[in-house]
Amino acid sequence: MYETINPTDLKYVGKKINRVDSAEKLIGAEVFTADYTFPGMLHAQVKRSPHARAKILRVNTSKAEKLPGVRAILTGDELDYKLGMYVVDKDILAKGVVRYAGEGVAAVAADTLAIAKKAVDLIAVEYEVLPPLLDPLDAIKKDASLVHPDLGKYDYLAGVFAPQPGTNIAHHAKVRKGDVEKGFREAHWIVEREYSNPQVQHVAMETHVCIVVWGPKDKVTIWTSEQSVFLVRKLFCHTFKLPHNNVRVIIPCVGGGFGGKAGLFLEPLVACLSKETGGRPVKFYPSREEEFNLLPCRSALIQRIKTGIQENGKIIAQKTEMFWDTGAYADYAVNVTRATAYSCSGPYEIPNAWVDGYTIYTNKVYGTAYRGFGNVEFSWGVERHMDLCARITGMDPLEFRKINALKPGSLTLTGERITEHTGNILKCMEAVSNSVHYGEITEEEKDRENRTGMKIGKAVGCLQKAPAIPTNTGTAVVLKMNEDGTLNINSSGTTEIGQGSYTALMQIVAERMNFPLEKIYVSIDNDSDKDPYDWLTAASHGITMSGDAAILAVEDLLEKAYSIAAQALNADSSDLVNDGDGIYIKGHPERHVTWKEIAIGYTYPNGNSIGGPLIGTGRYIAQGLTNISLETSQGLPAWKWTYGSYGIIVEVDPETGMYNIIKVAGAFDVGRVINPQGVRGQILGGMVQGMGTAMCEGFIYDSEGHLLNPSFTDNKIPTAMDLPEAVDVIVVETPFPHGPYGARGVAEHPMIGFCGVLGNAIRDACGADLTHMPMRWEDVWRGMNHMESLDKWVRKGAAMCETLGK
Amino acid sequence: MLVDFKYFAPSQKEELLNLLNDKGEKAKIFAGGTDLLPDIRAGLIFPSALVDVKKIQDLDGISFSQNQGLSIGPAVTINQLLENTHVKERYPILIKAGKQLASHQIRNRATVLGNLSNCSPCADMAPPLLCLNASIVISSKQGTRQLPLKDFFIGTKKSILKPTELLERVIIPIDMADSRGSYLKLKRIKGHDLAIVSVALVKKRGTIRIAIGSAAPTPVILRDFDINTKFNDICDEAVNAIHPIDDLRASAEYRMHMVKVFIERLTKEA
Amino acid sequence: MMTITLKINGKTYTRDVEENKTLLRFIREDLGFTGTKEGCGAGECGACTVILNGKAVNSCLVLAVEADGSEVETVEGEMQNGSLSDLQKAFERNGAVHCGFCTPGMLMSIKALLRKNPKPTVEEIKAGIEGNFCRCSGYTQIIESVLDVTGQLPQRKEEVRHV
Repeated sequence: MYETINPTDLKYVGKKINRVDSAEKLIGAEVFTADYTFPGMLHAQVKRSPHARAKILRVNTSKAEKLPGVRAILTGDELDYKLGMYVVDKDILAKGVVRYAGEGVAAVAADTLAIAKKAVDLIAVEYEVLPPLLDPLDAIKKDASLVHPDLGKYDYLAGVFAPQPGTNIAHHAKVRKGDVEKGFREAHWIVEREYSNPQVQHVAMETHVCIVVWGPKDKVTIWTSEQSVFLVRKLFCHTFKLPHNNVRVIIPCVGGGFGGKAGLFLEPLVACLSKETGGRPVKFYPSREEEFNLLPCRSALIQRIKTGIQENGKIIAQKTEMFWDTGAYADYAVNVTRATAYSCSGPYEIPNAWVDGYTIYTNKVYGTAYRGFGNVEFSWGVERHMDLCARITGMDPLEFRKINALKPGSLTLTGERITEHTGNILKCMEAVSNSVHYGEITEEEKDRENRTGMKIGKAVGCLQKAPAIPTNTGTAVVLKMNEDGTLNINSSGTTEIGQGSYTALMQIVAERMNFPLEKIYVSIDNDSDKDPYDWLTAASHGITMSGDAAILAVEDLLEKAYSIAAQALNADSSDLVNDGDGIYIKGHPERHVTWKEIAIGYTYPNGNSIGGPLIGTGRYIAQGLTNISLETSQGLPAWKWTYGSYGIIVEVDPETGMYNIIKVAGAFDVGRVINPQGVRGQILGGMVQGMGTAMCEGFIYDSEGHLLNPSFTDNKIPTAMDLPEAVDVIVVETPFPHGPYGARGVAEHPMIGFCGVLGNAIRDACGADLTHMPMRWEDVWRGMNHMESLDKWVRKGAAMCETLGK
Repeated sequence: MLVDFKYFAPSQKEELLNLLNDKGEKAKIFAGGTDLLPDIRAGLIFPSALVDVKKIQDLDGISFSQNQGLSIGPAVTINQLLENTHVKERYPILIKAGKQLASHQIRNRATVLGNLSNCSPCADMAPPLLCLNASIVISSKQGTRQLPLKDFFIGTKKSILKPTELLERVIIPIDMADSRGSYLKLKRIKGHDLAIVSVALVKKRGTIRIAIGSAAPTPVILRDFDINTKFNDICDEAVNAIHPIDDLRASAEYRMHMVKVFIERLTKEA
Repeated sequence: MMTITLKINGKTYTRDVEENKTLLRFIREDLGFTGTKEGCGAGECGACTVILNGKAVNSCLVLAVEADGSEVETVEGEMQNGSLSDLQKAFERNGAVHCGFCTPGMLMSIKALLRKNPKPTVEEIKAGIEGNFCRCSGYTQIIESVLDVTGQLPQRKEEVRHV
């Protein structure tokens, strides 16, 4: 919408506006779910399984029940509800069996946190320990023991997912495009390799946390740190078979989401505890260790790519297998498997493609959605593989990417035709390669190598992502004029999880309405009772879709307002224009009505009144998306694409494997920048989160399935000391016709692609050809010296290893 | 916190020693709390009394004299050490090591003596203090004894300190002032991390002294080397004196390699 | 239980508190100053940073009882005369506030840094906030805020470079 407007004609969109929610956060007045307390509130704690796989023989709560101050105790057997985003495979508390070490087996609500903790200690659970299944490639074997023997009995979203009963496969995604075997026969080169990366956690600074009151007549109120009031409500009501009107979900400010808060997690358990106490408010605020070990993470991936390349360097065929290790429950992983299957080409044209993606159960912490929805994980392999292919063909990796890049006329893996509106990957590539002087080592860089003894390497790579959203994804925005002529925006489509889209939404409204920002107010909190519907704040589609709805809401409001103004001014609507003060006749500003005069209806001098409260509504639903075939993934699932490119300069210490990132250039085709400070923040933040995945993050288990790094002691994330020396943040603007002023969305993309490009730069610098992330310094050292790589996710050795302590 | 403990804040050393004597194993000295409180929170220890050393008026802070050298008391934080002029001018290796200990906030609380008495083989202050030939003063109701720091550590998280005893002071002799040297610490990121392996090296008057951390159950001090010893020979001895483990942080192989790299770089630097 | 008296942002408070309660939980739960956050409880993430007797510390590793007689500064005391302080304004101008969870602790670390070092270099700023995790912003805009408030921020033509 309005995507062709010249930037010089824009007053608010494209301008740097300070975020409207900064001030409250800066003075410590912004209240997060973690901060809420209520009178009579009880505290919940969870008893967790020490075993990765075991039968629960007996749960003895008798001692805990006697502890003064304990108000409720629940075990799995008492809760007959099933949970699951797409495959309904989870119980609120483990029932009969535990499937991962850290899983909740019983829960307590007590007057104080200390009493709740004591009570949990007093609960005695007897287990029959079973050997855990930890490697997804073992789990997929024919004779593997089953994490979910009842998989065949579970409800699931039929037609979209295909769980395979009698196996550990929760979904098998397929892409079948063209004739891949023929393509391989015609190929001049065939390049095959395997890539992998472990489970990783979102590490939002605010853990998951919720407070629930299960009131009389099954009226439930939930305060929670999540990414959508409506999704929580829908999933909650589905689980407990309640009408939507019974459940009110409130999301105050969220201390980070990153995709980890896009579902239903603690709410059912806490709700049941509240119900058990007769409706007391119950709060569960997990510790950081529980966040790592009880709550979900991002699935691990093993990816095998086989590429056939013609003599002219063009890819003719590609076969990809992706083994997604989702841990104990499928949660979002089946959808990640589905969506990555049809995206895993990267932004390159694959004329003949065959993809098999598997969601595989193992006895580990379970995987949920994560920023990038699988793209961060597979783009590691794709970008590493593109460089390998280039090397084999003797082409420069950038040239290889250019000739294989998706261009207008290309077909994606699902058969979507790329047009000149889809985005400009070549321009992104060109921008970053210029920025890092790709293809040469400059004099300054040579000098640096000589001085430091470090080896410098460079690489350029690409990324793409479309939102993985249901075909009926929609949102609505309501605008309300206040009596004093100011405006309120009511929207839940951009739940504030750190991305700052509310400010951008205000800018869009201000622009379309020709109305000053100072007179617009948007509420940061979300409330399912009061807000208009939105699917979920995820998938980098928030500002795009809510922005569209907001434009339509403005147009609706203006239509109503002009109609009243026309009557008041004895004119026709087409004679009128408006600004922030009111509506007036073109060329005759003295003939006007102020917004204040019509905000709640217009009153004539004699007292007759017309109109009424001014409210504008706009709603938008994704246009033209189709289902994709379960057998081939052909169809149109992608509402829009955002392309991007990274150029990285790295220096590696040839003796130790330590490396510094000298420069990162990131270019993204964002369609239209709404708020440049916001876009910059997303790019800088996503890049560092990507760096964390690339450098140091990953779950490590012992051979019994215990998570060895459930805290910041050994689950490191980047600090301010870990930043690249220089960053170049670049945008390309190929307008998206269906986005507000052409905007696309860039929330996930800065995290995607980074890792593979860094891996390529490291190889360029020192020869270490790593195929597994994270690339720890020791891994680079081993790679340089052609040594055996370390255990990946699961360390050899039976017992929990002896740590050296702090 | 899981544990219900009583908090004591004695204002005199005698009071503290009496408390320790009475309570023995049930009491823990509370200095910076940066190791103690996480251990209590994690359910690793269950003291019934925490005895705060920070409010005691007659315990030493940090002092320097031409006779004694440098003396550091139990409430001296890492940042106080880093800000001290005598340390900066006379014992700079302590600055280089202290700066790498955790984060600024931790350094405002963690104490030098706490870092030692926690007895982690990763302790950042241990290798440089060992190189500086430090000795420690241990006090209890029964009296005071002084011994070389290298005799303090007997195992991972195990020192010779009895529950009734206070690590009262560490003394760095005057003859180690103005020595050259540095401390190299392997981490997993550039940000704050514990030592995966570490090497301190001090050169004075024709002698090289090297101590290695995170490569054995305790910090290890090698024998004195002549200043002209080739680093390869030093490495050979180092390799025999340490036995790093494989764990989730690094392999024994990499740790061993990095010890050698650090020894080479430190010997060439100073 | 012990009775403690301490100053928070210049105002005196006397309360009874359990001996095993951290200063962090005391200020959040007993006094209602929820600006300071608990991110890990183990001294790693810095979300709980307050200034205690002039020093930036992780309040999750300080006992409330030992803060008896102390002066504590938290984010709630940062405003000046009812307006955002210069540091807070710099954060606002430079897009340094994303989800806001790390912001209070970050402000306290920087406040302590600037008192000792009114014109820190980029490296000194990074070292000053090394113990404060931020998962949203990638730190750069925070560092730029400190450069800005200390008059050292190089002019940038545009936020993002258009090509």
